[in-house]
Amino acid sequence: MDDTSVAAGGESSPEATSSVGISTRARIARVFVAMPPEVVLIVVLVALGLIFAQGSEFFLTTRNMRNVLLSVSVLGILAAPGTLLLISGNFDLSVASAAALCGCIAGVVAEENSAAAAILAALGVGLLAGIFNGILSAYAGIASIVVTLGTWLGYRGLARLFSNGQTIRMNGKVDFITNDIFGVPAQIVLFVLITVLAWFVVRYTRFGRSVYAIGSNPTAARLSGIRQKPTIFVMFIVSGLLAGLAGLILASQLDAASGNAATGVELEVVAAIILGGASLSGGRGTIPGTVLGVFILGIMQNGLTLLSISSFWQDVATGVVLVAAVGLDQVRLRLSGS
Amino acid sequence: MTLENGPLSEKLELRATGLRKSFGGVEVLHGVDITVKGGEVLALLGENGAGKSTAIKILAGDYKRDAGVIVIDGEEADIRNPRDAGAYGLRVIYQEFSDAPDLSVAENLSLGSLPRNRFGLVDWARVRRDAREILEKLGVELPIRALVGTLGVAERQVLEIARALARSARLLILDEPTSALTLEETDALFAFIERLKAQGVAIIYITHRLDEVERIADNVLVFRDGDAVAEGPVSEFGRKEMVEAMVGHELVEEVASLRGEGHEIGDPVLRVEGATSEGVFSDVDLEVRGGEILSLFGRIGCGALELAEAVFGLREMTGGSMSVGDVSGQPSSPKDAIARFGIGFVPIDRKIDGLLTVLNVAENLSVASWPWMTKGGLLPPRATAKVFERWYDTLDIRGKGGATQIVDTLSGGNQQKVVLGRWLERESRLLVLAEPTRGVDVGARAQIYHVLRQFADQGIAVLIVTSDIEEVVRISDTIVVMSRGRVVGRHRADEVDRAQLIRQAAEDTVEAAAAG
Repeated sequence: MDDTSVAAGGESSPEATSSVGISTRARIARVFVAMPPEVVLIVVLVALGLIFAQGSEFFLTTRNMRNVLLSVSVLGILAAPGTLLLISGNFDLSVASAAALCGCIAGVVAEENSAAAAILAALGVGLLAGIFNGILSAYAGIASIVVTLGTWLGYRGLARLFSNGQTIRMNGKVDFITNDIFGVPAQIVLFVLITVLAWFVVRYTRFGRSVYAIGSNPTAARLSGIRQKPTIFVMFIVSGLLAGLAGLILASQLDAASGNAATGVELEVVAAIILGGASLSGGRGTIPGTVLGVFILGIMQNGLTLLSISSFWQDVATGVVLVAAVGLDQVRLRLSGS
Repeated sequence: MTLENGPLSEKLELRATGLRKSFGGVEVLHGVDITVKGGEVLALLGENGAGKSTAIKILAGDYKRDAGVIVIDGEEADIRNPRDAGAYGLRVIYQEFSDAPDLSVAENLSLGSLPRNRFGLVDWARVRRDAREILEKLGVELPIRALVGTLGVAERQVLEIARALARSARLLILDEPTSALTLEETDALFAFIERLKAQGVAIIYITHRLDEVERIADNVLVFRDGDAVAEGPVSEFGRKEMVEAMVGHELVEEVASLRGEGHEIGDPVLRVEGATSEGVFSDVDLEVRGGEILSLFGRIGCGALELAEAVFGLREMTGGSMSVGDVSGQPSSPKDAIARFGIGFVPIDRKIDGLLTVLNVAENLSVASWPWMTKGGLLPPRATAKVFERWYDTLDIRGKGGATQIVDTLSGGNQQKVVLGRWLERESRLLVLAEPTRGVDVGARAQIYHVLRQFADQGIAVLIVTSDIEEVVRISDTIVVMSRGRVVGRHRADEVDRAQLIRQAAEDTVEAAAAG
């Protein structure tokens, strides 16, 4: 008799006392789950901004914000097509190498020809680089991460070949690409335009929704009549073309082209997209999220530099923020799943 | 090791009373009792959302119960997590395999507790010996050196159960174990379950299929809306009583009248003549008319599914001809089948092949019609929302989020309705469905049949590939039976009975058995 009543009491009493605590926790959890993923990123961005503003008076000035925008525009331009590719379950790891290649091509062509010829050559080579990636990934059935891992090496090698391993001086020939348009540097304008365009395509076009459909479930997409190969092919072409543009911007910014330009940027692109909430397995990701990811990376770099923290520690800090933000999002997803 | 002699292990008696569970303030389980003993099969019936899986997950330690007592062998069991449940000998066999497909059968049986020799290395001889012992004890023949990934679905199911028993499970909870099995494999599994019963294992068997309940279960427990509404020995239940308990009264009447009687059957839409695909099906003639629902009935592997795939352009025919309306030839791809032939296709596994899981309901409904809907490539959310508004009444899609609910979060029946609706919106002339109600609960099943009948009444030709005899007799106007890639029987639905159809579908094995 006694035994059972004790057991029953022991069973129910801890639940009764803990239920209050659980319900507040549950409420917080529910709010957390209901938030769009971008909110987490905005919180991170604002928190970083507050910390850096505390540490440096210069941080919140217009000039510094302009610097941040200038420094992230190339990353942002590459991340736009990268986001679409990742949503569809594909990677383009070759963008930075392709950008370096296109910059070098522009440099070589500009030596003896007009600026227009140099620009056309750079964009043309970018296009070709994209077509090459696209044919192999979409039509030859090789996983895009493998294809572009190959061209990541290949395009980089070609870039160094064309530049002879040297820096090519541009002598101001294509610097108008980074000149101001109505007081705003052209690369910022391009970044904004391309981002808005990508956002529009993703949200409001058949192409954009097909990209999600393919990433979400390739078989179902095929059985619904969505043509997978051309869609993926087009994304690679755009990615290549914009890599060409990025190469031109970099060359114009430094007034020099180098086979070593933009080293490591391909992974920053992936980092920004993942930060923005995209899933490595496809189907998930947004352009606003990616833009926030780009800004978080840019502000980290800018702010930490202003605080005179060594670039080695900057890399460590960026890595921590990346894993923490993605981890937080995973927690959110897991909570919403149960 | 528990399997060394005699019965597998001691019989268990589980008595759970007053199980309650709420999620976010909503109670989904209103105090249910579950009783099961060793050597007994308890069938757990109920629609999706009735609380079956919640109750099971409480027993398995996946969920913490809000109230209720679980008594095992007369003592109160303190189950807080799956480990605790395992310690009491409770184990759930889910539909998804939890084995390691790249490892051998033997290694899978010792997974997590690989025996080591005195050097601390894996004792492979003992791994294999243990595996042979377990399988022998269970009366199962599996190639112990084969990689698990190379086994058939049924064999993996058996292996899964064997793994649980090797870890001294005394109560097995089987979650719709036959949903991916052929008739033959189902027979083998049932024979296996009978053996386990004889050895004193207690089994809770979750299913939608009433014929299975009749075949395998001793007792039945029916859940509806979080309550246990009926229980008792199977012998005291008829099929009608079980269905009534599961869905309440109102739906039962509707189910009976689903056969299309007295409606117009029009001109032929799909014509297939002499269709052949080497080694898969051969010389199949088929004609489906507008307004007609034709079931292609046969066991899994009979070639019917492959024929349907060929009609939709997923598989090449090596011989014969086909036409849909005035378009003749074989579609070269699904895209071609949709655009030029006007065919809609509902694949066998909606979750894997049918749904765009991260897109919303409206987008899933409209995806096949995107080429029509878009102007200059634009696809505004407003346009897809309109498609949703057009169909959600007809299809009775029940979700909280309306047009923008992510389709992954809908229940199975509602998901299937979304996939169906896709082809309604596309105004397909011919709809091809593979196992359209597999894994769908009784209520949603009736609704799906209802929608199919509506399709047909609009003059659409409907071709269903199915291995579910219930489905055949409930929905079709015409039945074509296939076996070994050939048509072995054609019937009008009102001229034939179940037994005849099943016999016909199994014809070749009967002959083979007679010959051998």
